[in-house]
Amino acid sequence: MRRRQFPPQSDLLVLLLVLGALVALFGLGTDGFLGKATLGSIANRIPALMLVSTGMTLLMVTGGIDLSVGSVLGLCGAAAGVLMVDDAWGLGPALAASIALGALVGSINGWISVKLRLPSFIVTLGMLEIARGLAFLATHSQTKYIGAAIESVGAPIAGWVVSPAFLIALGIVVLGQLLLSRTVFGRHLVAVGGNVEAAAISGVAVDPPRIWAHALLGGLTGLAAVFNCSRLGSADPNAGVGFELSVIAAVVVGGTSLRGGRGSVLKSLLGVLIVATLEAGLVQMGASEPVKRVVTGCVIVAAVLADTWRRRT
Amino acid sequence: MRVILAAAVLAAALAGAGCKPSATAPASNTQTAASPAAAPAPRPKIALVMKSLANEFFATMAKGAQEHHAAHAADYELVVSGIKNETDLGEQVNLVEQAVAQGAAAIVIAPADSKALVPALRRAQQQGIVIVNIDNRLDADAANKAGLSAAFVGPDNRDAARRVGLAVAQKLKSGDEVAIIEGATSAFNGQQRRAGFEDAMQAAGMKVVAIQSGDWEMDKANTIAANLLSAHPRIKAIVCANDNMAIGAAAAVAAAGRTPQVLVGGFDNIAAIKPLLSAGRVVATADQHADQLAVFGIESALAVLKGAKAGADRATEVDIVTAASATGPQPRP
Repeated sequence: MRRRQFPPQSDLLVLLLVLGALVALFGLGTDGFLGKATLGSIANRIPALMLVSTGMTLLMVTGGIDLSVGSVLGLCGAAAGVLMVDDAWGLGPALAASIALGALVGSINGWISVKLRLPSFIVTLGMLEIARGLAFLATHSQTKYIGAAIESVGAPIAGWVVSPAFLIALGIVVLGQLLLSRTVFGRHLVAVGGNVEAAAISGVAVDPPRIWAHALLGGLTGLAAVFNCSRLGSADPNAGVGFELSVIAAVVVGGTSLRGGRGSVLKSLLGVLIVATLEAGLVQMGASEPVKRVVTGCVIVAAVLADTWRRRT
Repeated sequence: MRVILAAAVLAAALAGAGCKPSATAPASNTQTAASPAAAPAPRPKIALVMKSLANEFFATMAKGAQEHHAAHAADYELVVSGIKNETDLGEQVNLVEQAVAQGAAAIVIAPADSKALVPALRRAQQQGIVIVNIDNRLDADAANKAGLSAAFVGPDNRDAARRVGLAVAQKLKSGDEVAIIEGATSAFNGQQRRAGFEDAMQAAGMKVVAIQSGDWEMDKANTIAANLLSAHPRIKAIVCANDNMAIGAAAAVAAAGRTPQVLVGGFDNIAAIKPLLSAGRVVATADQHADQLAVFGIESALAVLKGAKAGADRATEVDIVTAASATGPQPRP
């Protein structure tokens, strides 16, 4: 076993180098990129991605995956929108309802895949369709305009560059990292993902951590949905189409294994920053949509390749 | 859900029977009311094939068709179908083939692609089925080559976008910087709207500094707008090829703290855009009267079925909606 030649921090270093290279490249290539406006707009765009990537990292560490997060983001946002617009709920109760709904959907995903022994890939693929359909039913396929009642969460704090949503998301990333690396629950997540039989033999109850990871991801998706709505001032039942792929890309770029047993919430955050910086920079350089997709795809593959090569040498 | 929908359609039918002043409606309505089961002549079946019914625009279109059908139930039978997402061409081809298999007399279609649907529609036409093209125009070359002739009933997207663009440009000075967020680059109506915006900005002497595709999506347009605003600090307006993208752009403008200085234009006049219009955060959009579009297509198909010569193209009206006109009564064609 020569896998752990480098201290764990060197993973972070590779990611920071990639991120630094991107920032330098776009800084040289465009005029406004290194300004407060761009950095602020990147920071205020990514809270939803940060939250769901945190939850996804915890789940992928256990060897599970959730493909339904994009649809659940749409569904929870739709629910919050309907409650706030049609039923005149305040932001607080609507937020609570959205988180509860997300956690419920996540628990259903987790319970079915763990207790009924179905691959979470398949269960959540089904949920992807179910949640999207429900989002359309809940809104009658109409975008709900919520307006000022929700916008304050996603708008920059007066005098600051960043929004409350970004600060909350940052706090949750830190909590997620502490949960993973400093608690018994976190060690159980890694144990069941590394080798579920060995974990069971050594006395870990292997089902609860996996179900909890699904539920936690669902709850974070519910919170992310409200952040997403607040940035747009409205709830769009189409929100989050393809979001699951951005999340999985960010988590995998951050070095979390698709097979479980290894992962870091902090590195997923760097994955999020890399993906978001790339997106912002390409727009500012005036790249066309097809070019953006090609470049983004190449960077994802290259980042993962760099990570595996570094591990092998 | 289904029960509510059925009730809604029924209610619409009753409302139509009660107050519709149209010339043909009373006769057909009394007929349905008196003997719904004993209609002797078989009614022609019209298949309305839509794009995604999850899209508010097409959902409104389908509702308009269902209300029309409810008021003219004796004249034809209506089958509405739609695809899962706007780019699922294969599924739409299947829907056309299913309509043929079900013995439809006419197919009224909003094609998801201007070329890819041509072969399936030509096969249907060869079996004697009347084809009417609504919303997104089939490619003239492809249709000619295949020998497909279908009347087009729909708006002139390029002209409508030009008028939205002019309504925005009116509030700017000549030489101001403007950005365009277009729809999916592969969609014909998206290309037309982009061209219309460019026409308007050229005519008004504006400088178009960026054109980016938001793929019709709110979130994508939001990201693009936020970045355009920081890359081009002198931008004075962002025009978007649909209202969802306009909502995304307006949110980005607000987040950048540039709401009164940077104007936003949209397209479609969806319900959610109204508060933004009245707050002045979006200055203009275009109403294509989605609820009427499919109805005109169905009427065109019925006319051909009743023996009229192959239907002529029909440009449907588009109204430009601004804060001023949104508060007043809506003009209807």
